[in-house]
Amino acid sequence: MDIVQNTTIEDFKSILLHHRVSPVFKIATPYHGIPGKGSAFRMIFQIAKALNVKACAVVDSDLRSITPEWIELLVKPVIEDDFDYVAPLYHRHKYDGTITNSIVYPLTRALYGKRVRQPIGGDFGFSGKLADYYLTKDVWDTDVAKYGIDIWMTTTAVANKFKVCQAFLGAKIHDAKDPGADLSSMLYQVVSASFELMNTYPDVWKSAKRSESITTLGFQYAVGLEPVAVNLERMIERFRLGVKELRGLWEKVLPQEVMNFLNKADALTAHDFYIPDEIWVDIIYSYALAFHSKVINREHLLKSLTPLYIGRTASFVRENWESSAPEVEDRIENLCSIFEDKKTFLAENWE
Amino acid sequence: MNIFERLIAEPFERFFERTVEFLPLFFSALLIFVLGLVVGLLLKWIFARFFRAVGIDRLSERSGTVELLKKGGMQDSVSGILAKMIGWITIIMFTVISMRTLEIPAVENLLESLLLYLPNVFVAILIILTGYFLANFFGRTALIASVNAGLKLSGLVGRLVKLSIYLLAVTMALEQLGIGRGTIVIAFAIIFGGVVLALSLAFGLGGRDIAKEYLEQKLKGEEEKKDEFNHL
Repeated sequence: MDIVQNTTIEDFKSILLHHRVSPVFKIATPYHGIPGKGSAFRMIFQIAKALNVKACAVVDSDLRSITPEWIELLVKPVIEDDFDYVAPLYHRHKYDGTITNSIVYPLTRALYGKRVRQPIGGDFGFSGKLADYYLTKDVWDTDVAKYGIDIWMTTTAVANKFKVCQAFLGAKIHDAKDPGADLSSMLYQVVSASFELMNTYPDVWKSAKRSESITTLGFQYAVGLEPVAVNLERMIERFRLGVKELRGLWEKVLPQEVMNFLNKADALTAHDFYIPDEIWVDIIYSYALAFHSKVINREHLLKSLTPLYIGRTASFVRENWESSAPEVEDRIENLCSIFEDKKTFLAENWE
Repeated sequence: MNIFERLIAEPFERFFERTVEFLPLFFSALLIFVLGLVVGLLLKWIFARFFRAVGIDRLSERSGTVELLKKGGMQDSVSGILAKMIGWITIIMFTVISMRTLEIPAVENLLESLLLYLPNVFVAILIILTGYFLANFFGRTALIASVNAGLKLSGLVGRLVKLSIYLLAVTMALEQLGIGRGTIVIAFAIIFGGVVLALSLAFGLGGRDIAKEYLEQKLKGEEEKKDEFNHL
């Protein structure tokens, strides 16, 4: 930490009184284990346990907007305020994080009653105690070992009543998307981890009532964001292809009124294309129920969600073409309320 | 010994003796057969209730067996079909035993050949069923993967995968049954090779422009406008 003479921000003639010169003790080790984010995290948890750490932080490797303060923001609440889990909070482009905004955040919030805005943000702080707890769970051969790790960490912390907060980190800007990352596999891993957690904690989510805010730390400021290119026509085409080819499979999972709507949506032009929040919530809850009762092979089930998700994303993009970031946030808030309102449908049909 | 005795009485006597010898065998065979019917019906009744109790109908509905049976025109539940099969197997076994009791050489030979061939039939049925499930599973996998990859011919891809696996299973089953052993394998190889060749030619000739366009896009970097979402 640098220490300067008592001064103001406009005064550039301040005198540096102290500058840390001793190196920071660090261990840098490459990961050669089983491929997958979750498997790599498991090793971090094991190191944290071996070193008996008080706090630990993990960050994504493709970040371009990360600053040294991020580590402080993620670790300090654990050390000073006794929190066990620090989720990130960012300003993101309105079309960024669509799986988070349309599925994971509203679902987690409705189920467990805590408003963790970025449950799969990828940058987290957690206590040594929580890292130990994670290691007691036998999930390392499931999708948790891959992209499912983020939602698993957040849900495990929330469902087991660990002290959770979120820290504002600023903008989240990352490298261009990995072209090898397959959307349907990513969606499958994240959603399957979320649905699997519903099987693990049925009593917790059934008893949780309306959601509540969690402590948010850090000063929130406006940030500039990079534009995001969108090919709306192509997305709608993907949705239509899904309706044409996967209709038979969807009929086994979705209620008749949703199927009727999807058949109508198939005929809509790009200008009118729209999948309302209510229909989307019905789709997700129906998929959760089908996953639970194993209506069909689970990988087939969740991978068949991809065209629906792309359609919903296209609808979201079209609806919010002219909207500002706060307006988009209001829409997400509205979606979350519908998820919470319809939760009784899920609980009643859960066998 | 007069002619009457030799021509008429002796055959009648022999016939009478044989009938007297055969009758106990016949009655014991009849008894075994009736017993088989009773045991078969009883087992059918017991197993129908047992399969229903363990939830085999629900399981088969999830695995797609019900769909398969309905397609084949069967309206019975899976538990009912299995129970019937057990009943029929019992009845057939008792029938075979009862027929062997008769001690007729021709019937015994026939039964022996039938019994030796039966395992082949069971293995063939097993191959067909496994083939059907695998064909459905991989057909659906291919369909979903191609839809998610945005292939316009996804339906065709799914159906082709399904058909190929099913065809392979049928070939293997016929091979097992010993029907047209060499012919079936050669026919399968010709049909499958022909389909692949036809597809290659169709793609090569029909898709020449698409392939050219694709390569140009790849080499010159003129790619379609893609989404830059970070979905997570």
